[in-house]
Amino acid sequence: MDFISQNLSQFWSLTGFANAEWGNIIMLLVGLFFIWLAIKKNFEPMLLVPIGFGILIGNVPFNTEAGLEIGIYEEGSVLNILYNGVSAGWYPPLIFLGIGAMTDFSALIANPKLMLIGAAAQFGIFGAYMVALALGFAPDQAGAIAIIGGADGPTAIFLSSKLAPNLMGAIAVSAYSYMALVPVIQPPLMRLFTTKKERLIKMKPARAVSQNEKIIFPIVGLLLTCFVVPSGLPLLGMLFFGNLLRECGVTTRLAKTASNALTDVVTILLGMTVGASTQASQFLTKETIFIFFLGFMAFIIASSSGVLFVKLFNLFLPKEKKINPLIGNAGVSAVPMSARISNNLGLEYDPSNYLLMHAMGPNVAGVIGSAVAAGVLLGFLA
Amino acid sequence: MKKNLILMLMMAMVCAFGASAQSRGSLRINEVMIQNTPEGVADEYGAHVAWIEIFNTNFAPIEISSIYITNDLSKPTLYPVPLGDVKTKMPKRQHVLFFADGQPKKGTFHTNFVLTPGQENVIAIYDADGITLIDKVVVPATLLPGQSYARKADGSNDWEIRDGSEELYITPGSANKIKDENHKIKDFANNDARGFGLTGMAMGIVFSALLVLCLSFYALSKIGSLVSRLNKLRAHGAPAEAKVRDVTQDTGEEIAAIAMALHDHFDAHDQESTVLTINKVRRAYSPWSSKIYNLRQVPDRTPRR
Repeated sequence: MDFISQNLSQFWSLTGFANAEWGNIIMLLVGLFFIWLAIKKNFEPMLLVPIGFGILIGNVPFNTEAGLEIGIYEEGSVLNILYNGVSAGWYPPLIFLGIGAMTDFSALIANPKLMLIGAAAQFGIFGAYMVALALGFAPDQAGAIAIIGGADGPTAIFLSSKLAPNLMGAIAVSAYSYMALVPVIQPPLMRLFTTKKERLIKMKPARAVSQNEKIIFPIVGLLLTCFVVPSGLPLLGMLFFGNLLRECGVTTRLAKTASNALTDVVTILLGMTVGASTQASQFLTKETIFIFFLGFMAFIIASSSGVLFVKLFNLFLPKEKKINPLIGNAGVSAVPMSARISNNLGLEYDPSNYLLMHAMGPNVAGVIGSAVAAGVLLGFLA
Repeated sequence: MKKNLILMLMMAMVCAFGASAQSRGSLRINEVMIQNTPEGVADEYGAHVAWIEIFNTNFAPIEISSIYITNDLSKPTLYPVPLGDVKTKMPKRQHVLFFADGQPKKGTFHTNFVLTPGQENVIAIYDADGITLIDKVVVPATLLPGQSYARKADGSNDWEIRDGSEELYITPGSANKIKDENHKIKDFANNDARGFGLTGMAMGIVFSALLVLCLSFYALSKIGSLVSRLNKLRAHGAPAEAKVRDVTQDTGEEIAAIAMALHDHFDAHDQESTVLTINKVRRAYSPWSSKIYNLRQVPDRTPRR
């Protein structure tokens, strides 16, 4: 009888019920909230479902002293092996390969000045950097947190894995959460900083872009940006490589794999492991609250600076070449969500004013800009 | 076929150069002690003998078996580092110690020569061909017992004599300059506490990178359109100075004048009301403002049962 009760009691000590703490319960609720947001509200479901479920996986309580090798932070566990792609930073470049293979840079090539909007929106990163320093974070931690303002999950994970690995879980979840909330955060700011007259500006359709230009773009883009910021090579190299696969016309199969199967596989693994890395013991800290606050600030600064920069830019442009400031928000690289918001808001004020293709210019420039900004931070602070 | 072969050979050469750039040329003699003392590092047998530290400056592992270590430049292949020892694979940016005790049978890291106190000692490492000199150092004769001759920092060009004091510490098998903090971070924390400096520099770099890209594509599009125009003209044999009229730029008045002229010239009309009305038609449609590019799903209009 003793033998049975002893074994049952030992078994009980290994169950989630015996090891549950308030932190785990809170995180499980957060995971369920993410899944609800994704399924019911359709907020970035491709990201929030894997992350939300990952949070559930990472927060099922267990006896960490039993040496079961099941936790994501236990070396040799299956989850730890999968997490290696996040901690060593090789998932994000693979995602960038896919982004490159599925992105049409025509809008940007046709109207290169839109690249500057993508650059201006990166002020969100550095604005948040200054706020993070004021809150007492060390420069490397501040840099890792500030990159949330780039609105680019893979870039945020890549940079935080290099500058502040201990904050990576919170940074990644914060970045993806705010990307999902772009439709909520950006429109009020866009309305606040623009007049009705500005919202009605109709932009000229861009010229057609030749195949040769599309092929030259990734090659010149890689060489120019990476000669300036070599530390951006892993992200920019893969981004432009993916784009060349797409545009060169002779590697259609590779481009399809990169943009579909490969991206899907890596997104599943990335989302799930990032979610699982939010173990309550590591995640529920004062720093996490600060990180979420700073991420919010970064998004606000980035979106606002994009819109304000267009207004400033318009002062120097002739009347027929004015840019609708509603595409300024698209300078943050939440592709294509922020461009869609520009389009929807434009249509709200003039049902014949389609801004989507114009907004895609700064949107993809934002991807390049945030990767360059990450490279700069890595160069300065690593 | 021949062309392909030449191309492949060229590619192989390029790859070989690339590979050699990552190879043993990046090994450096990093620190040397001629007269070890009981306070110094001991070998695996507990003996305090002279030692030579080699450093891998690369950010990739290097296999050092079959390189040569010598203290006599006339005999570059004096001590070949044996094959078959897993410890000869040096991890990136790591150090390895060779004990110069003249007893190679004690193990891979025991050389077959000794270093002589009180005189200059030349130490060199050669690549596997026994000809290519990888690194060489002349250890001064003034080195006292317990002192080492070391690079000021790993792989740097400046050397110094170290006596084991607080500042001039001896570091067999580890970094010559121990990093207890990240200097970059410390610099930024001290000199740019509010982040204005980094923000200014970083935004400048981001803007410059994208501005360069932007200007390049303006230039490329200009060159592209010039080339295509020249090609078109060449193909059609038209004079180079011919200009293509952009009909969309014509005003309504011009179109009306042309229409009237044509009407007068051809007299193509029957008796009509003689009232000519020409309105400029605005073409609102463009692929850029088409609904089909709005990423909205086309609603399913099939009746449901």
